[in-house]
Amino acid sequence: MVRVRYRTADGIEGAFDASPGLSLMASAKAAGIDGIEAECGGSMVCATCQVYVAEAWLSTLEPPSEMEAEMVEYTRHPRPNSRLSCQIVMSEALDGIEIELPPSQR
Amino acid sequence: MATLARVIPPNVRPEQVFDFDIYADPRIDDDVQGSYSAVLKAAPDIFWSPLNGGHWVVQRHDLIAEIVKNPTVFSAREMQIPRVENPPFFIPLSVDPPENVPYRHVLMPKFSPRAVSEMEPRMRAMAAEIVAEVADKGKCDFIHDVAARFPVSVFMEVMGLPLERLHDFRSIADTYFKARTSEQIQASSQQIFGIFNELLDYRRDNPGTDLLTHFLTVDMGEGRRLSHEEILAMCFVLFLGGMDTVTNVTGFSVQHLAGDPALQARLAADPSLAGKFAEEGLRMFGVIGTPRLVVKDFDDHGVAFRKGEMVLCALWQSGRDPAKLDDPDRFDIDRGAMPHYNFSTGPHLCLGHALARTEMRILVEEWIKRVPSFRAVEGAHHGFRIGTVIALESLPLEWTVA
Repeated sequence: MVRVRYRTADGIEGAFDASPGLSLMASAKAAGIDGIEAECGGSMVCATCQVYVAEAWLSTLEPPSEMEAEMVEYTRHPRPNSRLSCQIVMSEALDGIEIELPPSQR
Repeated sequence: MATLARVIPPNVRPEQVFDFDIYADPRIDDDVQGSYSAVLKAAPDIFWSPLNGGHWVVQRHDLIAEIVKNPTVFSAREMQIPRVENPPFFIPLSVDPPENVPYRHVLMPKFSPRAVSEMEPRMRAMAAEIVAEVADKGKCDFIHDVAARFPVSVFMEVMGLPLERLHDFRSIADTYFKARTSEQIQASSQQIFGIFNELLDYRRDNPGTDLLTHFLTVDMGEGRRLSHEEILAMCFVLFLGGMDTVTNVTGFSVQHLAGDPALQARLAADPSLAGKFAEEGLRMFGVIGTPRLVVKDFDDHGVAFRKGEMVLCALWQSGRDPAKLDDPDRFDIDRGAMPHYNFSTGPHLCLGHALARTEMRILVEEWIKRVPSFRAVEGAHHGFRIGTVIALESLPLEWTVA
């Protein structure tokens, strides 16, 4: 199990376990985390599973594909450290990753 | 439809057969989605109806997701039940992934969550104007006078259709959605294509920041431009997908609200509840079923899907799945989660999911602001249609003008 630490837009902090090999989105949905909609279930067409990844962890991630980079621009509240959580595949290297949830996904 | 012979192919087991006429089942009553849910409680999660040429129906939340996320078996290239010779082709709806993806990306700049939130003030002004036209009258047909008008205005805004054509366009849209015979549908779709052709000509000479200009100028990769036929196919699916759907879900939701004075009072006192109301309305009153064509033999969940068979994903059943939530047939805006796939999911997730939700929320907010207390006109017949689209034909409301 890989630990994910998160903070909501209201400043509430929490953590959940993700399974290596599964996406961050799927792990968050499985853990029942509010604030990630993921309408399309990981098909990269909805732009509703955005998270902000803490700066220190950004370089550990595979860089976004061209399409993800484009879709991030369509999210409700994009920032430079925005990623689509359906495109982040969890691995041991990401144990302890810190993310922030946007104020809303749509 | 009913004149077709019953069809039960040999791969269908007897216990999987459940007779249901998706176009005219006599057990469906004025509580359309409620009676659907009640009737199908006796049917398997995936069943074969021998009527209308014979087809599968998938009626459970998680199973629907499996079907629509498996396009190599369940293709969207044909969406007619029963199958027809030359099925209509919609872009990007009838295009299986990955070929649908570039088209969706052309559309995202106008339909993304961000674009929709930027459009909200304009949409609110349009909703307020439509509500203002009836608020002082003390009565209206909510479908015709409010719920059908608002999405047409929003569509014109998104497409960049000049507002002076609003009246024309609204009456053509009205004719189209009221059409019953294939001749009527043919004639009014020709009118719609005529308007799009005219506007495309105009935008070629007068480019703007609208969707039509975007269609004409977008680079699809290596300098390829969209063909005229592609553009028309996209315009038409936006027209079909964006209007009747919002009208009907809003109509059914407000029909429910008309009978619940306590909920009206809560919404009037706290308009921020409109978003929850809209979502619960979406969950309870889905209006779209999405057909798929089986393109290769596939065995799963004890079902032998065979190439050439049609599968109807009854999306309106997805929100009423007892495995996903308690007491699914009860309308309750205080539920935590409201799981449903009335926008489908996967690669063909409704492009307008953010837009439709925002339209519903805004229209309810603006309505309750001017008409905080109302009721259905007693004894009035509302009328409905079923099929792969469910529609509410009218909703006469009355209220006391302050």
